[in-house]
This record gives sequence, structure tokens and C-alpha cells, in this order.
Amino acid sequence: MRVVIAEDQALLREGIVALLSEHDIEVVAQVEDGPGLVRVIGGHKPDVAIVDVRLPPTFTDEGIRAAIEARERHPDVGILILSQYVEPAYTAELMAGGQGGIGYLLKERVGDVPGFLDALKRVAGGGTALDREVVAELVQTREAEPGDSALAVLSPREREVLELVAEGRTNAAIARSLVVTVGAVEKHIASIFGKLDVPGGDDDHRRVLAVLAFLRAGDG
Amino acid sequence: MRPDQAAIGWAGRADWDDVVVRQATASALLVFGCTTIWGLTGGGVFWPGWVAFGLALALGLVAALRWAWEQTPGLTRRLAVQGAVSIVVLTLEVGLWMGTGFGTPWPFWSALGYSVLLLAHWLVAVGWFRLHPEREQKLTRRVEELTRTRRGALDVEAAELRRIERDLHDGAQARLVALSMQLGRAEERLGGDQPELAAEFRRARDEASAVIGELRDLARGIAPPVLADRGLPAALEALGRRAPITVTVTADLDRRPAAVIETAAYFVAAEALTNAVKHGGGAPAHVIVDEAGGRLTVAVRDEGPGGAEADPGGGLEGLRARVEALDGTFSVASAPGAGTTVTAELPCA
Repeated sequence: MRVVIAEDQALLREGIVALLSEHDIEVVAQVEDGPGLVRVIGGHKPDVAIVDVRLPPTFTDEGIRAAIEARERHPDVGILILSQYVEPAYTAELMAGGQGGIGYLLKERVGDVPGFLDALKRVAGGGTALDREVVAELVQTREAEPGDSALAVLSPREREVLELVAEGRTNAAIARSLVVTVGAVEKHIASIFGKLDVPGGDDDHRRVLAVLAFLRAGDG
Repeated sequence: MRPDQAAIGWAGRADWDDVVVRQATASALLVFGCTTIWGLTGGGVFWPGWVAFGLALALGLVAALRWAWEQTPGLTRRLAVQGAVSIVVLTLEVGLWMGTGFGTPWPFWSALGYSVLLLAHWLVAVGWFRLHPEREQKLTRRVEELTRTRRGALDVEAAELRRIERDLHDGAQARLVALSMQLGRAEERLGGDQPELAAEFRRARDEASAVIGELRDLARGIAPPVLADRGLPAALEALGRRAPITVTVTADLDRRPAAVIETAAYFVAAEALTNAVKHGGGAPAHVIVDEAGGRLTVAVRDEGPGGAEADPGGGLEGLRARVEALDGTFSVASAPGAGTTVTAELPCA
């Protein structure tokens, strides 16, 4: 797997580089700002870019804007956003194109090495990896007015499954978390696809579309 | 404040009109009575004329003072009062002079005296202002200075808070993230051979994560990231999306207000929405932000039952202090059945 990193904090950037090289993941470029990110994504065509939200020169949402710009030109490159805060609106913007390969994690999740590597691989493979806090915030909002939500058609159990799908968990992991069989999870997911009118096709892509429906519901 | 004063002023004028009318009526009746008595007692010298003259003077005094009191407060009003009294007294004197058989024209000297006094009053007053202009100028300067420094102090405070937030982000939070990552790598290496030690590292990492979470909440309390990143309309949109009720946001700003104003407006909307969620019974709410004539208005209206009462020491009262410290105004309208509207107006020149 080939990775580029856009992170202005040297300590964190070097830590991630060391971590990835220990696991035979090649970091092909490191940049410190938004324009640099757009450039190296174009130049190296990596599998995935790890992007900090706050980057020079503006130190606001530079990373998000640069990632969106880069994705427009190179839709196959996965984007894993690292942020110190949860902002569901940013996730929704990143996924507005209807493509997978998007992740949004709080920075401290890097400390959970297997979890972080797993998320990175999923995003590189076109899946999603939303931080559980992003998901929790969206769910908290939606549960208070289920009648207005696109997710109102789902049963409570199906919604739970969809939340875990949004976090990027596999069916086996979801089954473990909910203490049910993998078969039951598969049935729930098929039902979610049906209720949300997710068109048929590749299962991974259908999962992305279902997550997108989930994000859109959260976006009011 | 101002409408009340106007109301009192208006009532005062109405009362005064009333006094003048009653006085005039009473005077007319008296003169009529005296004339009747004079007629019944067989005429002679027309003494009721003196009664009429006296009453007319009193009426004239009241009317003149009333006119004088309507002049601009300050020197103009003082001069008007003096002039009005002088004219009434002079009229009395001329009357006396005429009534006593047109002797030496002494009222002329009185008139001259009153005029000199009036002129002296004016000269002294103007001269005093000329000699002591610094007093008024000083006060004006002081008010301007206080207004400016207060805003300045609040601007500095807001900028300082955002700097702290940035320092937290780039400093403590970043180092904790790095620490958390180092702990995670150590945990991973130990995982196979020394699971107990790995579990220790895991707990240390969880602790670091908890601290990072607390710092995150602290930073959000200073200014939500989306407000700092994208400004008030975007932050209010995000706020509305997070609320568990339907919230419409109408915010159209040509430019970004000062950080201190932006933050105050944001927290007014946030607190008002919290209240709308709590007391609005799930009814929709509307956030309207508007800028006109150097004032930024933020209004949050819910379609709930209304009838909210100000809670001393509550969130809304805290916001009132914050808004008023910025030279803004803050109001809550909550008639039963008409929903609740919280409005804050802030300077944003």
C-alpha cells in the first residue's frame, strides 16, 4: 500500500511514518500544507492519503478543502482525515460525491495501532471508516426526531447495524459487537439495503451508499 | 428607558395644558363675577379691570414658563425662562404705569435692566464654556475612550482565547496524540509476549485519550472549530443540524464580524436553541442573522408554547451580561401561545 501524509505537526507525522513503515506500508510523500497535498496526490497516485484537517496556510479547514479538490481529479485515491474534533458536516462534504474511500478519525485513534491500520486499509480499498464519535453525534441528533429522518424506515436494530457499518466494521465484527450470528447481521444488512433503496451491485459499494444515506440523514 | 421618559414628558405637557385651561376658566368666572358685582353696586371706577389684569398676568406667567420649558435643555432653556419671567414682570410694570396715570416712563429703565441681566447671563454662560471647554471635551473624550477600550479589551480577550485554543491544538493536544501513538506502538510490540504489560500500556493510552477528550471539550467551549474555520453562518448551520428539533437558519453576512461579536452571537443562538429544545415541546425553531447599519442582529424564534420566564442566574441571563458588555441589547419575548423569541443586537461596525 502506498500512502501520502499531509500533516504539519512534525511529531505526529514522523510517528505515523515510523508506525506505517514498521508494517510495510510505504509512505511515498509527506507534505505540510493543502496545496502540497493536491500536488503529491496528482504526482504519486497513492492508494490513500492521510490528511490533517487544519493545515497551513489558513489553519482552518484547509485539509478538507484540499482533499475534496484532489478527489475531484483523482476519485480512486482514498482519503483518511485525521482531526482533533468531530465535525459531521466535513464528513458529509467529503462523501458528497457518492464515492467510498473516505475515513474520518479522531487523531488519538492512531494509538490503537491495529484499528488504525485496519481503517487505513478499508479506506484504501474504497470502504469507509467513520469515527465512532462522528457516528454517535449523528445518531444522537437523528434519534430525537426519527419521524423526519430518512432512517425512520429502519428498525432500531437495523439502525444499530448501520452505525457499525458506518464505522467500517466487518460483518463478523458487527456480529461480535451485537452478540448475534453473522447470518443475522447479513440479513439485517440486506434489509437495510432494501429499505434505503440502495441499488444492487458490489457489496462494498452498497455499504458505502448505505453509509452515505446515513450521513445525509444526519445532514438534515 | 426612552419611551417611558417620552410618556412622562407627554403626560406632563397634557397636565400643564389642563392647568392653563382651568386657570383661564376660573379667571374668566372671577372677572365675570366681579363685573356683575360692580354693575349691581352702581358702577363707578371700573375696579374689576385690576382683577382681570392680575389674573391675566398669572395666566401669562404660566403660559410663558410653559413655552420656556419646551426649549432645548441647557443654556437656551435657562435664557428662555429668564426672558419669559422678565417679559411678564415688565408687562405688570407697564400696566401699573398706565393705571397710575402715565407718569415718568420708569418701566423703560426696568426693561433696560432686564435686558442687561439677560445679556449678562448669556455672556457669562458662553464665556464660562469658552474658558472651560476642556470639561465638556474631556467628558466626550472619556466616553469615546471608554467605549473603545472596553471593546478593545473584549477583542483582546476573544483573540487571546482563540490563541489559547490554537495553542492547545498545536501544543498539548498534539503531544498527547503523539504520546498515545507511542503507547500504542509499545502495546502492539508487547502484545504477543507480555499481555499483562500490554494491558498496562492500553490503560495508559485510554487515560491519554480521556485527557485529549477533555481538552477537546475545553477548546469547543472557547469557540467551536467550525465557527473559527468558517464563520457564523456555517457554524449556525452546524448548530441547527445538531439540534434534535427542526431548525431553519437564515444568515446572510457580507463579511465576518469581529471574533468577539461572532462568538457572542454564536453562543446566544446556541443557548436560545437549547432553551427551545427544552421548553419548545419539539416545535421547530428559526435562527435569523442580519446585519444592517453597523448592528448585527441574531434572533432565535421557536414555535413552542411561549410563556417562558427569565430565570435569574440562568443561561439567558448570563448571555444578557455578555451581550450588554459588548454594548449590545438583549431581549426575550415570550407571550403565552406566541412562542419564544430571543433577540440580541450587537455592534459590528
